[in-house]
Amino acid sequence: MSLTTAHSVVAPSANSKRIAGAIIIAYALISIVPLLWIFATSFKTPPDSIAYPPKILFQPSLEGYCNLFTTRTRQTPEYINSLGPATTFCDETTRKRNMVIAGPSNFLPRFVNSLIIAFGSTFCAVFLGTLSAYGFSRFKVPLADDLLFFILSTRFMPPIAVAIPIYLMYRELGLSDTALGMILLYTAVNVSLAVWLLKGFIDEIPREYEEAAMIDGYTRLQAFWRTVLPQATTGIAATAIFCLIFAWNEYAFAALLTSGTAQTAPPFIPTIIGEGGQDWPAVAAGTTIFLVPILVFTILLRKQLLRGITFGAVRK
Amino acid sequence: MSMTKPVKRKSRWPAWARRGLMENIATALIALGFLMLFQPFALSLYTYSFITMLAGTVMFIIVSKFPE
Amino acid sequence: MTARPVPPLARDAVQINSIVETIQVTEVGLTMLNRTADSVARATPEPLARKVRGISDKGLAWLFISPTILLLLAINIFPLFWAIYLSFTNYRANRPGEVVKNLGFANYQRILGDKDIWIAMQTTAHFVFWTILLQTVIGFTLAWLIDRKFRGHAFWTTIILVPMMLSPAVVGNFWRFLYEPQIGLFAYAISFVTGIPATHIEMLSNVSLAPWSIVIVDTWMWTPYVMLICLAGLRSIPEYIYEAAEVDRASNWRQFWSITLPMALPFIMLAVLFRGIENFKMFDMVNLLTGGGPGSTTEVASITLKRQAFESWRTGYSSAFAIILFVAVFGLANIYVKALNKVKQR
Repeated sequence: MSLTTAHSVVAPSANSKRIAGAIIIAYALISIVPLLWIFATSFKTPPDSIAYPPKILFQPSLEGYCNLFTTRTRQTPEYINSLGPATTFCDETTRKRNMVIAGPSNFLPRFVNSLIIAFGSTFCAVFLGTLSAYGFSRFKVPLADDLLFFILSTRFMPPIAVAIPIYLMYRELGLSDTALGMILLYTAVNVSLAVWLLKGFIDEIPREYEEAAMIDGYTRLQAFWRTVLPQATTGIAATAIFCLIFAWNEYAFAALLTSGTAQTAPPFIPTIIGEGGQDWPAVAAGTTIFLVPILVFTILLRKQLLRGITFGAVRK
Repeated sequence: MSMTKPVKRKSRWPAWARRGLMENIATALIALGFLMLFQPFALSLYTYSFITMLAGTVMFIIVSKFPE
Repeated sequence: MTARPVPPLARDAVQINSIVETIQVTEVGLTMLNRTADSVARATPEPLARKVRGISDKGLAWLFISPTILLLLAINIFPLFWAIYLSFTNYRANRPGEVVKNLGFANYQRILGDKDIWIAMQTTAHFVFWTILLQTVIGFTLAWLIDRKFRGHAFWTTIILVPMMLSPAVVGNFWRFLYEPQIGLFAYAISFVTGIPATHIEMLSNVSLAPWSIVIVDTWMWTPYVMLICLAGLRSIPEYIYEAAEVDRASNWRQFWSITLPMALPFIMLAVLFRGIENFKMFDMVNLLTGGGPGSTTEVASITLKRQAFESWRTGYSSAFAIILFVAVFGLANIYVKALNKVKQR
């Protein structure tokens, strides 16, 4: 290490800063390459996507997105010529490959399923979580520590281990392959995170506000509604985004417990195939659409991220 | 006063069964169970890994109720 | 306060208690108290509120907590007990009509004596060990570098964090494309650097490379997680300790080993335990990337479990296996929560 000048760890030298910065930027750039590659592939034509060497510069095309939203059948050139002029861009690109659009693909319904299940379960988890977190934060609950541990421990259960009895249970109850069943399941998984995170947030709101409100003639419930909730908004929003991301990304339960009507996007995207194997531009297009909301949320959440991944234990 | 022993704390809980110590033993037991589960050397160690982990976990839950 | 049973006016004893506490404690309470008179006039209770007013704090606490507990009992604990029951039987989910026989501990004995499952455990061990080692070393190094607070560090940190927020399944699936021997970017980059022909880099179909393919993806994805927690650990070290060390003329090397590392250790433990638990039950990424193959070289415990439960439909047998995995995870989770509380006190 450098022996020159007033060097201390408290204020790293300009040189060490520069080296650290260079290494971090290099790592960041390398680690972002797979994502950029997904994005780039989604705008390639199928032949471009499987070119060797991999093409970094290419003519952008929306064919992947067309293929993502449609199913196509191969036809003879005579048949295609007998059709009227192509009406849409997707029509045109499909016909160039000697195919015609047969109908919409399942991607949109699966994506909508993802939205319904993720938002539904997030709402339920945050609602239940807020109530419980307030209960644990403000009242003397007997065995509170044990209950909290119990709540957290349910999050650690291996999904496949839970899936076996849930599969049987849902079969009995008629909940298999329904959005309701998935919402219930994701709520149960997320509520543990919601309780732990929100308890931390509510613990930080001084009790005095509610107590003052109660002196003002509010009941406990009114005080909770009018003083605690407005102050916990940031915490509730952050918790909701964490729950949303989990439910959005979840694969194991979705793959094992849904097969048709309630299937979400993660188990669906890998099944997108074209002729002779995976249609990579279409897969990349689906992946891109699927990932964009998460990227936005990550940027929104970056200040709360640490708190979220440690169940509220580390607050910075 | 003819007290030879130092003045004990209020609780009459035996010193050897304090929570910290016992929790560490339970933790070690769970870790041992994991090593037995993962090791590639002897099938019999693998066979007994489950019971070791179970014992460690149960012990952990019980001793976490002990006073500090 | 002595005449507790008869609540004066609409107030109940609980509120009196809180008034007493509040007056002792707060400034806010005092200022708010001035407004009490007119707010009492305002607060003519609505019918609903009057009903709710009857609920004591204790009742309210249970009202708030019980829905969560009931949901978890229904969706997590009941199935768990069902699985424990099934683990003692030969039940098969695809043959609901068949008579269920009680086998006692036979399922457990079979699993714990089964060489194939033992090998699956070693595959899991390989995956868990290497991912944790790589993630900890790389993650801590990155955190240590970011802690130099160079210009723009917040922006680049956010970029680094992105992979861990993404769906392991969807991204894992895409890595199959990156790993393609000829057309894949990963193989191309490796051959570009090492000179080995790209067609020879068969990450997913080569028996000795496949276990590393899942290690690489997991490390790429979760190093940011370890980094973030290590960063919190490094930032929790008070500066005066370093200042004191400077006064004592301790070398940088020495400061690192006797201050930085020990002080950040609880945080590192936290990250290691959590990643350990998560990777022990890893399913989604591996299932899509290799599906356990080639053969069973990347068949980690969760994949074996899924094959037994949802492909061979040996429900009783796989329930026993699930319970074994559950106990292992639960043991680690206990230690994790202990570590969590330790860090919380900092």
